[in-house]
Amino acid sequence: MAIVEASASPALLEEAGQGRVRGWLRHLELAFPIGLLTLIIGACFFWPMIAAVPQPVGGDVLESNLPAFSPGHLLGTDPNGNDVFSRILYGGRSSLVVGVAVNVLGLLVGGTLGAVSAYAGGKIDAVIMRLLDVLIAFPSLVLTLAVAQSLGPSQLNTIFALAFFSVPAFARVSRAATLRLREQPFMMAAQLCGTSTWRMLFRHIAPNITPQLVTFSMLGMGIIIVIEGALSFLGLGIPPPAPSWGNMISQGQQALSATPMLVVWPCVVLFLTVLAFNLLGETLRGRWSGR
Amino acid sequence: MTVTDPALGDARETAAPGVATRILRSPSLRLIVRRLLAAIPIIIGVSLLTFIVLSLIPGNAAQLLLGPEATPEQVEAMTRQMGLDQPPVQRYLDWLGGALTGDLGTSLVSQQPVTSELGVRLGVTGELVGLAFLMSLGFAIPVALLAAYRPNRLFDRVSMLVSITGLAVANYVIALLLVLVFAVQFTFFPAIGYVPLSQGLGENLRSMLLPAVSIAFPLFCFYTRFLRGDLVDQLQGEDYITTARAKGIGPWQVLLRHAFRNSSFGLLTVVGLNLGTLIGATVIIEQIFALPGIGQLMLQAINTRDFVVVQACVVVFAVVAVLANLVTDLLYAVLDPRIRYGNR
Amino acid sequence: MKTKIRQFIALLGVMVVAAACGGSPADTAGGAEGPPQRGGSLTVLLSSGFAGSWPSGLDPATNTTGGANLTHMNAIFSGLFKLVADEDGSNARVEPEIAKDYDFADGGKTVRITLRDGVEFSDGTPLNAEAVAWNWKRDLESTCTCAPNWPVVEKDPITVEGNTVVLKFTQPYAAVINSLVVSNANWIASPTAYEKMGAEQFKIKPVGAGPFKVVSNRLSSELKLTRNENYWKENRPYLDNLTIKSVGGDQPAYQAILAGQAHVYEGMVTTPLINQAKDNPQVTVTQQPATSPYLIQLNTSKAPFNNKKAREAIYYATNVDAIRKGLFQNQYPAAQTFTGPGGLFHQEKVPGYRTYDPDKARQLVKELGGLTVHLGTIKQYVAEQVNTALQSQWEEVGIKTTIESHELNSLIGEFNSGNWQAMLQTAGAWDPAAGVGVAFRFDSQFPFSGVKDPQLDKLLDDAAATIDEAKRAELYEQAGKLISDNAYAPFILAFAPANVAASNVHGPGVTTKIPPVLVNTGIIWDEVWMSQ
Repeated sequence: MAIVEASASPALLEEAGQGRVRGWLRHLELAFPIGLLTLIIGACFFWPMIAAVPQPVGGDVLESNLPAFSPGHLLGTDPNGNDVFSRILYGGRSSLVVGVAVNVLGLLVGGTLGAVSAYAGGKIDAVIMRLLDVLIAFPSLVLTLAVAQSLGPSQLNTIFALAFFSVPAFARVSRAATLRLREQPFMMAAQLCGTSTWRMLFRHIAPNITPQLVTFSMLGMGIIIVIEGALSFLGLGIPPPAPSWGNMISQGQQALSATPMLVVWPCVVLFLTVLAFNLLGETLRGRWSGR
Repeated sequence: MTVTDPALGDARETAAPGVATRILRSPSLRLIVRRLLAAIPIIIGVSLLTFIVLSLIPGNAAQLLLGPEATPEQVEAMTRQMGLDQPPVQRYLDWLGGALTGDLGTSLVSQQPVTSELGVRLGVTGELVGLAFLMSLGFAIPVALLAAYRPNRLFDRVSMLVSITGLAVANYVIALLLVLVFAVQFTFFPAIGYVPLSQGLGENLRSMLLPAVSIAFPLFCFYTRFLRGDLVDQLQGEDYITTARAKGIGPWQVLLRHAFRNSSFGLLTVVGLNLGTLIGATVIIEQIFALPGIGQLMLQAINTRDFVVVQACVVVFAVVAVLANLVTDLLYAVLDPRIRYGNR
Repeated sequence: MKTKIRQFIALLGVMVVAAACGGSPADTAGGAEGPPQRGGSLTVLLSSGFAGSWPSGLDPATNTTGGANLTHMNAIFSGLFKLVADEDGSNARVEPEIAKDYDFADGGKTVRITLRDGVEFSDGTPLNAEAVAWNWKRDLESTCTCAPNWPVVEKDPITVEGNTVVLKFTQPYAAVINSLVVSNANWIASPTAYEKMGAEQFKIKPVGAGPFKVVSNRLSSELKLTRNENYWKENRPYLDNLTIKSVGGDQPAYQAILAGQAHVYEGMVTTPLINQAKDNPQVTVTQQPATSPYLIQLNTSKAPFNNKKAREAIYYATNVDAIRKGLFQNQYPAAQTFTGPGGLFHQEKVPGYRTYDPDKARQLVKELGGLTVHLGTIKQYVAEQVNTALQSQWEEVGIKTTIESHELNSLIGEFNSGNWQAMLQTAGAWDPAAGVGVAFRFDSQFPFSGVKDPQLDKLLDDAAATIDEAKRAELYEQAGKLISDNAYAPFILAFAPANVAASNVHGPGVTTKIPPVLVNTGIIWDEVWMSQ
């Protein structure tokens, strides 16, 4: 998580030429990731409702390992005879749900912690920051592994485990943003007017740091989807046969040389999704910082 | 440096109580000491947290070691032999006492001292991380410089596109694709395993290349973007650059001597921060490539519930992360006098 | 690089030609070519999930994973007895190795094992009856689960007469010799070396009388062995060095062999990879004779499987042929009882065994008013796939099924809690009485099925005690029938892993077939050689 936070790089296509080209590019840098995400989310959540997609589990074992473009199986089937395309769609659901849930948790809990810590300052700040320091110094993946082991693999537990990544990261971003905000004249003014602490937090701080946190959560989505994959890869994420992109990659790599496409397809969608979230996050950050 | 150096002579005279005292009073040193002292509770906190988390994991090492055939009596005897029947607080304090004297305990499963095992494996993980940093920085710095030299030209655009695309590829995906292409299809590189340095540098590097690239590629993308962005910011916004340009210094000179010099502080900080996150990467990459590093040891230990080993691994990781942050913070403070420490 | 690409193109060419010829070249490459050659260093890979794990060291008295570490232990210690077979895996039999001979006395209550004269440990001290007695006393006292569970008499169970060790039991125990080949008691360690090194050091660098001795040992990671110049067999072993390495799974192991990093991989189970390897002329694939069948353990002491109808529904709902074909390309035979065709007392069919019949299954589910099952297994690729297939098949006939994969730890926990319902497991061994054989899965005293059937207990006990082969066969037949009639546990297919070797490696167990005693085949390492 430190990666993203420390980065202050500008948007991808910043100051792209002049006039029309520039406008067009500015349009594209937002339209492309949003379009891609709409496509992916739409496919995962709505396509199975409209079209006849086979179930992602319960396939006929006699139809195992069919190649791509087999009749009825666009991307073929896995060793259990389950439709790969369908597994990618349904797997996307779990990956995206985990991503959103973890980021919302991070945003709410971490965001509040960071803001309170920065606003209160003094002892409270010191205590909260020391606690977060411990969490940050703690190799997060280890903590996640341990939590996943102790709770047992399931989607909900994966979310809790991954929240250990997102909460401290969001708290740091939120704290930094609040600290900057405290120096602003309008904050001084509000404070001098005797505004209550809670009012300060909710009416003045929260609305001002939210855009930054939301931007950060776009990048966070990408990271969490990748880490969910890593967790599933190590056998501690969403347990098969329910699909997730991570566990599809993990299962497929056990016979990588014989059936490489079982790994390639989920890798491709994982990549495209993370790319879309990253592009969107970068663009938003660029716009937010006034470029 | 001779005694006749007037500056030094002055310093000696003004620092009447002597050089030693002066060094002790130096703000940098006080900063170092203060930060080191602050790191101690963090590391203790980490070890305590690990201990708590680990004791929440169900299953005990004795049962796992003995296997399904074990009778409850055998499990109980083994539990006692492992010292797992002691109350947790007692066990933690015992462990902490040992750790402070450099003894990280004996593995529950193998009954071998953990410290020596860690030493061997730290070398492998260290080499992996070191190579990954070397490769990523070695490529990122020139690419970022070239990109920033003429922003928004073709090279810049392409490198930025490559790097944002690359950032979206998970390291385990890269690893699997590298294995698929270079180890399965073409066998240029060994697919798995570690060749120690003692068997020749060439073989050693050959065995480390694919794993290191898997970790280095996302880092390269990130550093390139970070450095390029920072350089462009410096070139456009900072007064000293304008001054340098006004003095008629060539564009490459400005870029290298001035902008890059400044940006490198930021890069350094990021590298330090990354060290902590890299540890997660090594766990997976070592697993894929069967490298006998700390990540592999830790995963094995988690699976066999060998908590003494897990605890030791986590603490080593935490110490490395904390030290890395500390060093970068200090460098930052020492190199950039604008940053005031300790006044808040 | 260029030559590599050329090699690759050449390889492609070879593969195309081989495919065009229609034959599988791997099958013919296995035969030994010319006389065996001396020399060479061989690296063997073992899966970290099983044989490639030796966390508690290699001292026979304390190695809890001894049954999995056959290769390590046989290479260092050889064995009192060994399991051999003809090249095609038939006629498998236990032969004396360091032991010279054995006989039973007292109706099977006493076994007398005479040792070969002049055998020495690699440290030069003699391996005699005294040494064996010293080892066995240590084994029996060990708290390790690997300690032999012989029904020995209280007083002086082990005595020495000349170069003969005498073992006394409270009841006839004829299966003792056959079960020795999977028992840690088969491996005899040097008492002198043990006294000198102490227990902790001995675990790491044990001293035995096998064809190799330990150079270095990093637990569960790498064991380096070198030729034992003091080995009692003239001109053996052929290999100069043997390195045992742990590897993450079938895929990386296969890659490593193709890349020339290793020469042998024991225990490949992933069907697509086995097939791919069979089509690859660079390697020899030896599919071992199947012994231990996959079966579904049912907790018959608890709902829903305390009801025979529910158990029958599972029998009828399970389409074994579809699983065999879909998941395993018909490589493994269906099983109806606890031995496979590679094992002793094999029986292809059990009269009255309930086979796939979805209509009957649906009918039974209807009579039961619905059936909900939680099916578990160990976290392992093949087992998980079988479970997934079972889930689909059972759902098909209306049995609501959830599946779960456990780490070994939680699997044991589940069994011990008694709250489990169904578990996919493997049962049996080359000799049903050996090691964790059939009794382990069905006997009343074990928690691995809910079966508490005195009749079955007696049949299995008697079979283990009986010396007469024909009589034993009859007892096991009755036991199989009893399990089938009561629908205690549906069997799926008899399974055995494959060994994959680089094409220049030859040797019994590597490129010839030997039935796995328990899970993996015991490779006879002193006969393994490499053509240069």
